[in-house]
Amino acid sequence: MNENEQTRMRNLLRQALPPVESTAAGEAEPRRDLWPAVLRRLDAPPPRVPWFDWALLAGIAALIAIFPAWIPVLLYYL
Amino acid sequence: MNTHPYIRAFLSGIFVPTLLLPLLLAGFVLLRLVLRAPFPIERGLIFPMALAPVLWGLWSMLWLRSHAQTGLPLGVHGAILPFLMLPGGTLIGRHVGILVLGARSVTWFEAVRIPYALIGCAFAFAVVAYYLAWKYIVGTLNRVLGIA
Repeated sequence: MNENEQTRMRNLLRQALPPVESTAAGEAEPRRDLWPAVLRRLDAPPPRVPWFDWALLAGIAALIAIFPAWIPVLLYYL
Repeated sequence: MNTHPYIRAFLSGIFVPTLLLPLLLAGFVLLRLVLRAPFPIERGLIFPMALAPVLWGLWSMLWLRSHAQTGLPLGVHGAILPFLMLPGGTLIGRHVGILVLGARSVTWFEAVRIPYALIGCAFAFAVVAYYLAWKYIVGTLNRVLGIA
């Protein structure tokens, strides 16, 4: 591809893909910086698991250990 | 991100059963095609592979629609679902011949027999599993997707 063809291709691409001037909501950019909110969400500590949920989980594990034959039935009902 | 909250709720709802689908398919291939199990397990696949994910998704959408009025926590809302899944799955299981209701026990896949005395225990197990799955897995996804 020579230089003329490259220039022509560049112009065609620019015509086909005009620069983004506004979003569907009518704004080129969000009204505020969203990145700090993303960082806050990423840094947020995971929710604490109460002791009774651990007890329920232990109960499930115990039942599976006692009745392993139930697993296909439970998978059937999901 | 306030657009299409119900689609996001549906996606977070179907996440758990969709993750289990490959496991079910692998179990089916192993039992039926590799180990040549004589029982036609594929008859029973329609419920866990087609209906259950849709039910989970719709149930998640229902929570999004109703929790402002009911104030029901997501885990409790999810724990109600087995009350629909058990009769639905049993009805379909009986219809396709994978479940036999005997005099003293229920038999699944001609192999797994659970006495009626233990059915309540198994059901409680399912309710607890649903409670935990909805509270921690679906709840986390709802937070990530911005609908909780």
